[in-house]
Amino acid sequence: MKRIEYTVLAAALLAAGCGTQPGGKPSQRQYFVAFSQCNNAEPYRAAQNALLARLLGAAGDVKLVIGDAQQDNARQVAQVETFIRQKPDLLIVAPNERAALTAVMGQAVEARIPTICLERDILQPNYTTYIHSDNRAIGRLAGQFIADQLIKKYGTAKGNVVQMRGLLGVEGEINRDAGAKEVFARYPGIHIVAEPVADWIQAKAKDRMTEVLRASPSIDVLYGHNDPMAVGAYLAAKELGRDQGILFVGVDGLGGEAGGIKKVMDGVLGATFVYPLCVDKAAEIGLKILHDPQFHPEKEYTLESTMVTAANAADLFKKL
Amino acid sequence: MKGTLIGLAGIVLLAILFSPHAADGSRIFLQPGNLTDILRQVALIGIMALAMTYVILTAGIDLSVGSIMALATAVTAMRLTASPPGMGHVQAMVLAIGAALLVSAAAGALNGAVIAFVDVQPFIVTLASMIGIRGLAKWLTHNTNIDIGFGQDVAAHFASLFWQKAVVVGAFAVLAVIFGVALARTVFGRYVRAIGDNEKAARYTGLPIRSVKIWVYGLSGLLSGFAGVLYTAENHQGNPNAGVAYELDAIAAAVIGGARLAGGKGTIAGTIAGTLMIGVVTNMLRLNNVDSNVEMMVKAVIIVLAVAAQRQRGAE
Repeated sequence: MKRIEYTVLAAALLAAGCGTQPGGKPSQRQYFVAFSQCNNAEPYRAAQNALLARLLGAAGDVKLVIGDAQQDNARQVAQVETFIRQKPDLLIVAPNERAALTAVMGQAVEARIPTICLERDILQPNYTTYIHSDNRAIGRLAGQFIADQLIKKYGTAKGNVVQMRGLLGVEGEINRDAGAKEVFARYPGIHIVAEPVADWIQAKAKDRMTEVLRASPSIDVLYGHNDPMAVGAYLAAKELGRDQGILFVGVDGLGGEAGGIKKVMDGVLGATFVYPLCVDKAAEIGLKILHDPQFHPEKEYTLESTMVTAANAADLFKKL
Repeated sequence: MKGTLIGLAGIVLLAILFSPHAADGSRIFLQPGNLTDILRQVALIGIMALAMTYVILTAGIDLSVGSIMALATAVTAMRLTASPPGMGHVQAMVLAIGAALLVSAAAGALNGAVIAFVDVQPFIVTLASMIGIRGLAKWLTHNTNIDIGFGQDVAAHFASLFWQKAVVVGAFAVLAVIFGVALARTVFGRYVRAIGDNEKAARYTGLPIRSVKIWVYGLSGLLSGFAGVLYTAENHQGNPNAGVAYELDAIAAAVIGGARLAGGKGTIAGTIAGTLMIGVVTNMLRLNNVDSNVEMMVKAVIIVLAVAAQRQRGAE
């Protein structure tokens, strides 16, 4: 008896949950856009979701469904497979990892679904178009900015830099690191004194920076591979009364109250480098694909980064 | 318990021995600042591990503590940023902290109620709430962090008060004493130990098993919520993704401290020693710039060794 009650309850819940899923018969042509997001938990990706929903919502004739793969390849493959069955008018995939998503995105293309590969590439060109930015270029920009600031400070390019690293082995981490080191290699006076790993997480970065500060009496620059880690490092330095002597540099430059641009305005970060959300371009190209059958997108779009300092932060904040 | 203390002493000695030196020749590990860093870094896990010890003593487990902590950070930050400008700072802080603690304790008590009345295994019940409460926290915040404490408002006031080392470490110490005394000296503590030792016997003697379980899981939720409040202040953010895998750290601390997952065996002092042991090992490896992957392997070995040592002593 009890078992039946529970089963009925579960079925009712399921039905209620499904009621909120897309469905129903629209009176006019409504386009169905499916977006497979690799991990909602990262603020960068939450910002992507919000902006994409806003831009496609403004079009008026688009129904957007966002799936969260929770940083799990298998989950994302299954999710894309399900989307393919639903025959969306446009599929956008932000792949969790290159190898895992390559085949299933090939199935989407084979099923003649226009497919946008967003921000991370895959092993074969199984997409209609690939929209991305360049982390190595961003790393070089950040490295050059740091070198220039040190020259300003000492008259010559010398100083101690701490790198707060993201999750090891991830493309963004590898290239934001490599790009900066390309630049540092040209200045023998610039030393990287510590490279703790904080997996992109602000709370971890605070702990790691505390240890670095204990062990290193002289630090000129903290280069965080994303803004939250740079902010975490700042909090650690502030607690030990050493935030004034250190320049904090981040990457991502998200808008909004919790984003890096606001942190530059607040004087927490000296600079951040915008890692483009890419979804604004994806919305632009995607809508053209939906509305204009004659339109053929380029195979690849590379988006530029923007440097955010106190000089332009307030303007950018208003725009985003 | 004795084994844990010996282990802790050994690791502290190693940490002193291998400590890098500061410019003035002193050992960095022994600097008061570094020692209090360790206490502060383990405080949140330590606070959760206190109630986790109670849960494990009843032969239960609570996998939902990390998610409850995340929910509490979200509620605290949301309340603080939503408080009307006219409201007094103290009042706004009390409201925010109160809301977070209330939600957390309720979530914990709900765990306990399902375990006690529906008679589902604690592992399954708290696994479900671990997933569900994480979803709730992310849903409430739309997946985003809520930054606080960078301006001059009530949130900044809150952060500057509650992120102080003395407050965080002091709270851990006070809670440790309360939970230690309650377990060793009160009727409630005796019930907690009796249930895990032999639930059938406890039932025949007429102990209020159900209400004790609801209390124990409620306390676990409450302390997780409190850890969430401290996390919010320390990191200047409400973060729905905070505390992932914290439940495992809390369980590890209790287990290294001699708690037996089958119930009935475990002490608060042991759990604290276990917590400190993890903290000192982490600090030692980090001060020496040991590769973070190697660090994980070292921790694994220590957990197994610590538990093996407990079993040896138990068998003697």
